[in-house]
Amino acid sequence: MMQLVAGLAQAALVAALAPLVAGLIKTAKARLQSRRGPGILQPYYDLAKFLGKDSVVSPTTSWLFAVAPSVYFAAALGAAALSPVLAPLASGLGMGLADLFMLLYLFALGRFFLALASLDAGSSFGGMGGSREMFIAVLAEPAILLALLAVALPAKSTGLTAMAASAAGAKWALSEVFAAGAFFIVLLAETGRIPVDNPDTHLELTMVHEGMILEYSGRPLGLIHWAVAIKQLVMITLFAVFFLPGAPFSWPPLAQAAVLAVKVAATALALAAAETATNKMRLFRVPAFMTVSGVLALLALVAR
Amino acid sequence: MDFFYLYTAMASAFALAMASALALRTRPAVANWLAHGLSAIGSLLALAGAAFVFSAGPQGFSLSGGTLFGPVAVRADYLSAFFLGVIGAVGAAASVYAVAYSREYYGRRLGSMAALYAAFLLSMLVVVTVSHVVAFIVAWELMTVASFLLVAHEREKASSSRAAYVYFVMTHIGTAFIMAAFLLLVPPSGSMAFADLKAPAGWLRDAAFLCALIGFGTKAGIIPLHVWLPEAHPAAPTHVSAVMSGVMIKTAIYGMARFYLEFLGTGPVWWGAAVLAAAALSSVLGVLYALMQHDVKRLLAYHSVENIGIIMLGMGGGLVFASAGLPGLAGLAWAAALFHVLNHAIFKSLLFMGAGAVLQTTHTRDIEHLGGLIRFMPYTAAFFLAGAVAISGLPPLNGFASEWLTFQALFALPAALAGLTGKLMAAVLVSLLGLTGALAAACFVKVFAMIFLAKPRSEHAAAAKEASGLMLAPMGFLAALCLVLGVLPAPLLGLLTRTVAPFLGEAPAATLAAGDWYAVGFKAAATTGTMSPAALVALLLAGAAVAAAGYRLYGRAGRTEGETWTCGIVPNARMEYTATGFSDPIRRAFRAILLPKPDVVTEDGHRYFGRRMVFHVKITYVFTELIYRPASRGTVALAHFMKRLQTGSVQLYVGYIMAVTIAVLVWSTRW
Repeated sequence: MMQLVAGLAQAALVAALAPLVAGLIKTAKARLQSRRGPGILQPYYDLAKFLGKDSVVSPTTSWLFAVAPSVYFAAALGAAALSPVLAPLASGLGMGLADLFMLLYLFALGRFFLALASLDAGSSFGGMGGSREMFIAVLAEPAILLALLAVALPAKSTGLTAMAASAAGAKWALSEVFAAGAFFIVLLAETGRIPVDNPDTHLELTMVHEGMILEYSGRPLGLIHWAVAIKQLVMITLFAVFFLPGAPFSWPPLAQAAVLAVKVAATALALAAAETATNKMRLFRVPAFMTVSGVLALLALVAR
Repeated sequence: MDFFYLYTAMASAFALAMASALALRTRPAVANWLAHGLSAIGSLLALAGAAFVFSAGPQGFSLSGGTLFGPVAVRADYLSAFFLGVIGAVGAAASVYAVAYSREYYGRRLGSMAALYAAFLLSMLVVVTVSHVVAFIVAWELMTVASFLLVAHEREKASSSRAAYVYFVMTHIGTAFIMAAFLLLVPPSGSMAFADLKAPAGWLRDAAFLCALIGFGTKAGIIPLHVWLPEAHPAAPTHVSAVMSGVMIKTAIYGMARFYLEFLGTGPVWWGAAVLAAAALSSVLGVLYALMQHDVKRLLAYHSVENIGIIMLGMGGGLVFASAGLPGLAGLAWAAALFHVLNHAIFKSLLFMGAGAVLQTTHTRDIEHLGGLIRFMPYTAAFFLAGAVAISGLPPLNGFASEWLTFQALFALPAALAGLTGKLMAAVLVSLLGLTGALAAACFVKVFAMIFLAKPRSEHAAAAKEASGLMLAPMGFLAALCLVLGVLPAPLLGLLTRTVAPFLGEAPAATLAAGDWYAVGFKAAATTGTMSPAALVALLLAGAAVAAAGYRLYGRAGRTEGETWTCGIVPNARMEYTATGFSDPIRRAFRAILLPKPDVVTEDGHRYFGRRMVFHVKITYVFTELIYRPASRGTVALAHFMKRLQTGSVQLYVGYIMAVTIAVLVWSTRW
């Protein structure tokens, strides 16, 4: 019971901060592209606006279309509850149940329902988005598992707390660099960043995630955007905790929290930079990109 | 002695079902109710028998004092009881379903179909309980013949009779290997009772292992021995497909478990590696081929190949751990495999029943011609969705629970294999299982969306009606089981650890420790995974509650209806995304394996301005092309060659006999 409450507290924290990180990435990207860009709090305003609006729904849709955003949001919140954000601060804080496969399969659950909903209205835009999202998931899933196994195998556990402890104590070596590279590629794919997807537009043929949710408007859309931000923050946290050199568990909690915040912000800036520096690649070149990630992860395993 | 009565009652129920179906074949309605009702009762008695064994310990009794091959006995240890339970649960659901589904077969040999169905169920129950080599083979062959005749039930259709023929040939190749495997065990033990069977020494033991793998693997449908499966399972009536795909192929898993856990003992590491290789191949290729199918029953059949692969990933892990002297982890891996046996039996038969309900009302198995059925068949849709989520291995349903255990078992491989081998094997197999899960999810998004969502794509789909209550009830029962086993797997895992413990020397229950009633975890040095499906459900519910509360407290509830925006055109069903289009990116990414051959047919004129364009993609089935086609061509060529000997001239035949006689005489006198 204690574990559940702690997990929910962590989920609330992640949910509250997620739009801030999204705003940070947006602002940083605008600056890097010599634009002024929106303020860092813009995602909060957007959410407030979306959640206060009516929605337009196609008469073709079924109950699944109405339920999917809630499932997607619940899965993202569940993942936020499991992710190792507070793990360094208090290892007993509800993270005993947090397992790597559970975390990843929660995301898969949300994706499953959203992809179903994308096909519900019967427009080809949504179907295209759903098809591509599942395609990228198929490629990213083995890559993400390989990258995380590079951390889990030395830790001899798929428990996220144990993995975080092992990663915090690990020496920074070549294998860590490979593993970090592998996960960063997956991070770009899972957060829908530019070489794989474009988070800012849906009216071009490159659309993936935004195409999938094209049918949504008003409050369900707000919920989906929020869930996407939460998922993004969870993925960034995983990268920061597992792959960036950090503070050992023996440090005082406040110092650890500060280090984690710096690492998350740095990762967010790196994402913005990566998105500015690259072009969107053709959909059918994504497999090669994911293969690079897989090979890097295997190299990390071999080098260790 | 109580078990004897339960078993006899069960067998009598099925025998009565057969007799009544045949006797009353001119009155199909009565025969239908009576035969399938009795089959349901028999299945429930099997379930009761399983419960009895688990509560009172292993049971057994002698069937006959002495036959030509020694005394024949029925023995139900925990392993038999587990499979008895699986067959009973699915058999009961399928029999109730059959009462409603078989109405379509009134006047189409319903009597023989119902009788064969009862015989089929009974033979499976005998297979998993009989404890004698010859009796096992006889029961196994009865199961094969009954299912063959059921596959061939609609023998007017060329596709059905061809499917039955392929099944018959393949399954007998399998039976030959199974017999060889048993015959290798008989000489060293000098008896045909299971309890006495001993493994032969040396390379004969490896030969027995391989014969069992090939023989049972054919029935299980592992790649490349799977060719019969996607043909035969869809051809049978739907309730039979459900039983064949959900349960019959599991009797092969039972056979393998008997061999690898009991008869052969701990083997070398390569046994496990061989099983793991076959498993990885089956799971990934099975789901890839499934994704390319548009015939819903064929697609489900290919998913059986995939799930057999997942089950065998657990078994292979168990063999590797056993040979490394890690009984605790071996128990974990075997428990994962058996758990997936049960889970697959449940959700696969559920999905087949859903597909059958759709087939019965729309008369099409092609998902490209369906759509929008969620409106006309709300319950079928909801139950099918539960099955789809479960088979995709998504939490919180049962598919996730067993796949999670399999993940944990594979993750612990480095404990058995030191150095880089173990690490790489663990990494590659875990990521392949992840790939399988992601592909299955993509596949079931496609299936569910094409059948149930958006607008109907044909008049048949638009005229669909909800299935009858007798069909919905078993589906609801199985869907509920998916949820219960997913959220509270701990009690069942307790039974499973008891099932495998007697074979592994050490109580694996210590490894597979339920920390609390709601959590599943391990206490072993190699792995410290913990999972709590119940807590996961609580988290999900809390998340959903937050979303709902946000809806209530904030903003307006306004909801306007409006057609989808499609550049000013009123959208119709032809503009929807198709199954072919949905799976296209994956088809292209895996083109090295699938070798797709697109084919565009235009009618009336120009390539781009034809009045009508039809797009087809043909997938190349590598194993059929590489193994089976050359083999069958070679056999035919050889037959043609041999035909030259047969000229019809009696003198020549006498000459042959002379020649052979002389050769034999010369050889026997040794000059």
